[in-house]
Amino acid sequence: MTRLIAPLFLVVFALVPLWLNDPYLMNALIITGIFTICAMSLNLLLGYTGQLSLGHVAFFGIGAYVSALTALGFDVSLPFGLRITHEGGSPLLGFVLAILITGVTGYLIGRLSFRVRGAYFVIVTISFAEVVRLVALNWVELTQGPLALTSIPNMTLPLPGLGDLTLRTKMQNYYLVLGVAVLSYLVVARLVASRFGRAMRGLKENESLALSLGVNATRTLTIAATVSAAMAGAAGSLYAHYIRIIDPDVFLFSYTVTMVIMVVAGGKGSLAGPLVGGLIFGLLPVALRPVMAPEAQWIVYGGILIAILFVMPNGIVPALANLTARRRPASLTKTPETPAEAGAQS
Amino acid sequence: MDQLLQHVVNALVLGGTYALLGIGLTLIFGIMNVVNFTHGALYTFGAYAMYLAAVALGLNFFVALPVALVAGLALGALLEFVLLRPLRRSDIDTTMLVMIGAGIILQSGTLWIFGGVAKAVPTPFPAEPLVIGPVSVSYVRLFVLAAALALIALTYVTINGTKLGRAMRATFQDHDTAALMGVNVSLIYTATFAIGSALASAAGALLGPVYVVFPQMGDLAAVKAFAIVILGGLGSISGATIGGFILAFAEELGAGYISSGYRDAMGFLIIIAVLLVKPTGLFARAERIG
Amino acid sequence: MQLTRRTTLAAMALALMSSTAFAQDTIKIGINQPLTGPFAASGTYVTNGAKIAADEINAKGGVLGKKIELVVEDNKSNPTEAAAVTEKLITSDKVPVLLGAWGSSLTLAAMPKLEEYSVPMLVETSSSGKITKSGNPYVFRISPPSSVEAQAFEPIAKKLGIKKADFLVINNDWGRGAAVEFSKVLKDNGIEVGLVETMDQSSQDMTAQLAKLKASDADTLMITAAVDQLTLLFKQMAALGIKKKVITTGGSQNPDQLVAQAGSTANGTLHLVAFAPWWPEKSPNPEEANAFITEWKKRGYDFAGTTESFRGYDGIRTIAAAIEAGGAADPASIQKGFWKVNIVGLNGPIKFEKEGPAGKESGQSKPEVYLIEIADGKIKPANP
Repeated sequence: MTRLIAPLFLVVFALVPLWLNDPYLMNALIITGIFTICAMSLNLLLGYTGQLSLGHVAFFGIGAYVSALTALGFDVSLPFGLRITHEGGSPLLGFVLAILITGVTGYLIGRLSFRVRGAYFVIVTISFAEVVRLVALNWVELTQGPLALTSIPNMTLPLPGLGDLTLRTKMQNYYLVLGVAVLSYLVVARLVASRFGRAMRGLKENESLALSLGVNATRTLTIAATVSAAMAGAAGSLYAHYIRIIDPDVFLFSYTVTMVIMVVAGGKGSLAGPLVGGLIFGLLPVALRPVMAPEAQWIVYGGILIAILFVMPNGIVPALANLTARRRPASLTKTPETPAEAGAQS
Repeated sequence: MDQLLQHVVNALVLGGTYALLGIGLTLIFGIMNVVNFTHGALYTFGAYAMYLAAVALGLNFFVALPVALVAGLALGALLEFVLLRPLRRSDIDTTMLVMIGAGIILQSGTLWIFGGVAKAVPTPFPAEPLVIGPVSVSYVRLFVLAAALALIALTYVTINGTKLGRAMRATFQDHDTAALMGVNVSLIYTATFAIGSALASAAGALLGPVYVVFPQMGDLAAVKAFAIVILGGLGSISGATIGGFILAFAEELGAGYISSGYRDAMGFLIIIAVLLVKPTGLFARAERIG
Repeated sequence: MQLTRRTTLAAMALALMSSTAFAQDTIKIGINQPLTGPFAASGTYVTNGAKIAADEINAKGGVLGKKIELVVEDNKSNPTEAAAVTEKLITSDKVPVLLGAWGSSLTLAAMPKLEEYSVPMLVETSSSGKITKSGNPYVFRISPPSSVEAQAFEPIAKKLGIKKADFLVINNDWGRGAAVEFSKVLKDNGIEVGLVETMDQSSQDMTAQLAKLKASDADTLMITAAVDQLTLLFKQMAALGIKKKVITTGGSQNPDQLVAQAGSTANGTLHLVAFAPWWPEKSPNPEEANAFITEWKKRGYDFAGTTESFRGYDGIRTIAAAIEAGGAADPASIQKGFWKVNIVGLNGPIKFEKEGPAGKESGQSKPEVYLIEIADGKIKPANP
């Protein structure tokens, strides 16, 4: 059953803008989509390698800043009399650079922080995100610090033969986010289905066994961290060009918390988990908003989170998979992640 | 020179506070392998308990303090019993997320009940500082330092000198073996979480009167506590104590002589540096956990 | 025939729909404020002030013969939510005008949405210069940006006899903006500017910064922070034995709360405030100031909140005046109406001047600024 979730999602969500005219709900879906991409990227680390990164928002924020600064331009002086001046460029270039730079950052951070595991890893990643936030806050010459980067242009796509298309409307941005989400999904699906994915899962299940079988732990984890960071960076870029203003608040710890909630409640280590979790916890605040007082909304949000984990400690998707597996013993008990399935979605 | 002396005194006073924040978290982290995201909420809870006891009920300052500590102990035991015990077999992410949920509920509940306006808790100490040469420090901060050191010593003695402490240490080493040796592991977990919570609550009760009391006060405190724990190594009381002082000195001197904007980054930069050199923290006494 | 009937039906349906849309017996005003998160206290004050103004206006018969209705939404102290809430208020609740969004990053996040839907917003608290200078013609601000506050301070600065001043500011647009603008004014008047220290907005312990400032040879310390941090600063300054002239800026000081919570350590401090609720008779609009303060107390709110909540009160009164002046409760008329507003708010005349790139100017009103002093636990006007 779970193998059907992703294609079903795609069909349903491709059709949404055709009947949904409410811009507020469209906006909620776009933001939810962006955070779901983050959740998918976090799932690669948390779900498949078992490494809990609580600094994931750092890559999201770096992606947002790289993309915004590429589009807006900057003029910054560095030590030793160096000076970098950049005239504004195209947002698409920003998107590409965001992916590249966050990928490299993810690689470096991976090299550093995979020296430790478990709780230590958790804290290193929090530390990294805090340091990045404080740099964004204090390096005013580059980031304008708390004064915020404003008037960030919308994403522009060059269409062959048709000139540039600037994505201004909700519907255009919606399909952009959906497109990037589908690509991200496919990247994760391909990756976890490969030999490499088996190495990741091996490390998660039993690190010493995997090592004895010749898995290069640091290399495997670092590659996962690189891809994961690059995807979060892409999401950050989408965010910057959609919201059109960023300040050091893009590094809010609560964004990381949202991503972790989406992954763990949805079901870590399953392809569909972050999609289901992302949708539920992305749209839950929207559903609660008209019903109750602001403080009560947060209390109910926390309560639902606890309730889901009590009933389904492994998350929603694995719980559903188990349910169907029990009914049809013939099918897989584990979430299917075969190459055939990944192919079926493309 | 005068400035340096003042910075050193400030760091000593602040370090005691940080140590107190850290030891509660390091116990829970080390023994239970739970990333306790209610630590900040419990700190806030202690401060509000102090406010209620001292201002609303009009209790004496020194009577209100133990009241807040006991309230934290009770809330901690309740949280462990209701939320963590049923999830004993779950992994670190699940319990962490449940703790995040509980933290959200506690913080929003506080905002709902008390509103966002900060409250002040009066202290019986004189507002005039103690001045010794070029250095001055307030009496209430000295009292907080003394109380914090006393609580740390008490915790240290509990862990190292009592039957309960022995059982806790055994559980920390290997909870399966501890269970085989007749240790009631469930009880140890509840006790650990309750003690850790009481320490967080006590920190809030001591610092609420020094600072002001408001619903988000725990956020930054929790971040600092995490930094202290990593500096000191999981489960190490003396490590967390020294970690607290290291963080305080780094912040004071960093803000004084480098840049105040990066004051809060100092702790994290040290963490990253420490992990490059010694990945298990400065004072780890156990093998890697996790 | 068939066709015409269908067309008529459709036309009727359309007319019916539009008439229900226009025959609302209320005019909605969207309130976009932080009601949860770090800025919850301030956002709630502003919202409560807005409610008092709305009730007062409705008791007098409303605007254009209709009652006004506030649609309050929480932006969770978070820029993403501030943008989403703006969208919701405009598209789902169909408000023709908004009040918001407290902090500058929240307001800046809401601004592209105003442009997208061509709906005006009255900005009541934010201080960032970018808000009125970025060419968004839907923004009308009644709070003073740091530059306006600093200009108002200029004549006072000369009289205070300052020789050298250090700055300690909150590390956000508000604090940094204040440091830049006030430094400029001080330097222009031959006053030396020493250290500029920052503190994180969530910091509770500023002793490190204060120890550094203690060692400086400046005679005056200029501080920009909100009341909670000021309370802590005064206590910590007393503990460090810092005895300099202290002047606070920014208009979020709530001096009553300072007196209540910082106690004797607040004595001798000077504060630049935008509204002085202690002497309503001295307000530019004593009648309204009295009515507002009386009602505020009657509703059981904390008196200390008035220095924040008056922004919500003035904000709604300004919006009502804009609706009245525009002659209709649609966004375009209200936007035009804002330019005609000429009322006396609780802290001076509210009248918008053009700011920003030509053709797309935002509106900025320039309120008055008062210098007050806390002496022996009492608040009194400072007369340098």
